[in-house]
Amino acid sequence: MASKMEETYVHRKLEAHKPFSTKQFFLQWEWLLVLILIGVMVLNTLLSPYFLNVTSLRDATMIFLDKSFIVFPMAFIMIMREIDISVGSTVALSSVVMATAYNVLGMPMEVAVIICLLVGALCGLLNGLLITKFPELSAVIVTLATMILYRGIAYIILEDQASGNFPEWFGFFGWGYIFGVPFILIVFVIIAVVFGLLLHKTSFGRRVFAIGHNDVASKFSGVNVNRTKLIVYTLAGVMAALTAVFLASRMGSTRPNIANGYELDVIAMAALGGISTAGGKGRLIGTVIAIFIIGYLQYGLGLINIPSQTLMIIIGALLLFAVIVPKVKEMRR
Amino acid sequence: MGETVLELRGITKKFPGVTALNNVSFVLEKGQIHALMGENGAGKSTFIKVITGVHKPDEGAMILDGKIVSFANPNEAKAAGIAAIYQHVTNYPDLNVTENIFMGHEKVSPTTKRLLWKEMHEEAKRILQSLGSSINPKQDMGTLSVAQQQIVEIAKAISTNARIIIMDEPTAALTARESEELYRIAEDLRDRGTAIIFISHRFEDMYRLASQVTVLRDANYIGSWAVNDISNDNLIVAMVGREINQVFPSKTHDIGEEIFRVESLGKVGYFADVSFTLRKGEILGLTGLVGAGRTELCETLFGIEKYDSGFIYLHGKEIKFKNPKDAMKQGIGYLPEDRQKQGLILPWGIGRNITLPTLESFTKGGWLHEKTESLKAKELAEKLNVKAQSVFDLVSSLSGGNQQKVSVAKLLMTDLDIIILDEPTKGVDIGAKSAIYEIINELAYQGYGVILVSSEMPEVIGLSDRVAIMREGRMVKVMDPQEITQESILAAAMGEMPQGGETICLPV
Repeated sequence: MASKMEETYVHRKLEAHKPFSTKQFFLQWEWLLVLILIGVMVLNTLLSPYFLNVTSLRDATMIFLDKSFIVFPMAFIMIMREIDISVGSTVALSSVVMATAYNVLGMPMEVAVIICLLVGALCGLLNGLLITKFPELSAVIVTLATMILYRGIAYIILEDQASGNFPEWFGFFGWGYIFGVPFILIVFVIIAVVFGLLLHKTSFGRRVFAIGHNDVASKFSGVNVNRTKLIVYTLAGVMAALTAVFLASRMGSTRPNIANGYELDVIAMAALGGISTAGGKGRLIGTVIAIFIIGYLQYGLGLINIPSQTLMIIIGALLLFAVIVPKVKEMRR
Repeated sequence: MGETVLELRGITKKFPGVTALNNVSFVLEKGQIHALMGENGAGKSTFIKVITGVHKPDEGAMILDGKIVSFANPNEAKAAGIAAIYQHVTNYPDLNVTENIFMGHEKVSPTTKRLLWKEMHEEAKRILQSLGSSINPKQDMGTLSVAQQQIVEIAKAISTNARIIIMDEPTAALTARESEELYRIAEDLRDRGTAIIFISHRFEDMYRLASQVTVLRDANYIGSWAVNDISNDNLIVAMVGREINQVFPSKTHDIGEEIFRVESLGKVGYFADVSFTLRKGEILGLTGLVGAGRTELCETLFGIEKYDSGFIYLHGKEIKFKNPKDAMKQGIGYLPEDRQKQGLILPWGIGRNITLPTLESFTKGGWLHEKTESLKAKELAEKLNVKAQSVFDLVSSLSGGNQQKVSVAKLLMTDLDIIILDEPTKGVDIGAKSAIYEIINELAYQGYGVILVSSEMPEVIGLSDRVAIMREGRMVKVMDPQEITQESILAAAMGEMPQGGETICLPV
């Protein structure tokens, strides 16, 4: 009886510090990704004598990092149990508007770049508005429609032509170095850190996770679900426009059909990085590793002239592996 | 006396921790409309599920046409001629009427297995006409009114040759005229020899239709009477006449000045002309039958839904809010009815759940201070005596009572004046209930104005200072302490519409 009394009336103490568990630390998904990355590096080194070379490894990042900017906001979107497949078209539209503003309208390139970012933001905002105003429509359908729409507008503006002749300084985005480090790599690191902190260390990021797990409970807890979604979709548009700037810079010109299929690459990188499409789960560090896995895989297999179809098979298999392994772990529990 | 078609003897059904039916008996005669009555949670739903083969009784016998039967699944009950029509129409809105009627027992050509649409359409038309309805069988179900959908459901029951039809609150969503149409059909079926079990919260329905009434209360069989032999008062006593055996904390709170006032608040299709006041440190019980509009009212007071008319005053000033965050900022908190779906993020720890509504207070210069956050969460969880090891324990691993304590802790984080608790003890075991009662009392003691929404009569009576009763979207009565009895509350919740009130259209 006494023990029963105790249980009812003595207030229990709760632990408020999370104990560090070495086992839990090493059981994290990201370690598996690190192993895969090492595997990719070893494989490439064995297959090609030209692969393991600091200069070429460094310069390879200039080729594959541009689309990675979009991976971060895409991770936010997927954590919220949404999707955006219009980002590739947003890249095309914003870059085409930029080139037109410079070449046809005669604006200074600096202004054209700002316009490019604005166009991206508008594309993202429109997606967000449609998705929050019409919650009964699925994000796949809404962004499928805008994907076709944005690409179509890009074709109307430029027809099926290229537009280039950018000023020389503009090439710095794609090909420049600062203290021997590619400019794009520096930008990538900054963006990754900013998004990582935003997701994991701020109340905004916490709300993104909350919405992904349970948007109804989030709403009842005073989270402004629609505003959060709007911000994240707009961020995705801005990052797509930033990709457009680096891509146009690297290629020296743009055309309406650039960045075709980027949306799928981006979603694949996020998924491989451990972002669950079921919502509420994932860490940005995983997506960073996944970006390098896919990037170096593409680069290395390109060196030994493996056809791109084979590459697709490998990436597809890797992705399947990545989404199945956590399920197997759950089933065994 | 007619001939008995269905008899239940000593049916007992237990679920883990609850006895849903305890030694219940029931006799249904051919061509009889038999009303089944009882409060929310009295066991009516389980009773129906036993008859329709959804649940297997633990004890007792079911006798159909003089033979003992035992249904392994709903299909066997259907084959035996038992059909049920539920309160919330369950159908396929995108399929047409014929497809709905013959779903699961389609007419098929014996040789080619081709679906015989022509025959089915004709049969559907014939049945509908026999019910006096002119619904076109080729029309989509979703385009029909609720009343018409009910008729199609009845047609479906007839198409399976049902001899026993159970109607579970069929009039809940119907207007007076549509109800009349339904009564006519029910009487017509009765005259053709079908036995009907009619469940309704409206006395009106019972007096209009039934010849026999059986009352359940707290899972027990109370009695069965001919409708003409029992007075309305005795019937109410039979339905509520249990002793209040739970211990409620003594009322220690002092009631202060009026802080909250709602004036003729209305939302088309949900509630109309709702007015009440709430004082500091007062617990206002808000009760009524399921579907009376209580939850809709509370969600509106919390900014989830918008209202069309009326005013809300807090501390004498009119307030408006466009979302829950706004409502919380102005001082109104809400504990939702469904804590698993609306209240908590189950895969999260206790701490994160508690701090979700107030993340700003742990944010400095954009950064979330997780340490301060955990400590504050720990403080509140301990105050409410949440039983767990650490604030990182997942909410999904807690018992119902402890989950509810976490939900309450979320409200205590913010600076609130009004706390609305929607069914705070739903799905919570008895032991944890008294802990929650203590908490509710403590909230009032600390000076919050508390609105306690509950369907549990003893809870409302035991805790509330005043009781407001809603019926069909209207606040029919606000009772002062001396008026509060189980009988008076139930009479108000089920009784006649107030004089001169217009009929409001309930949501479809």
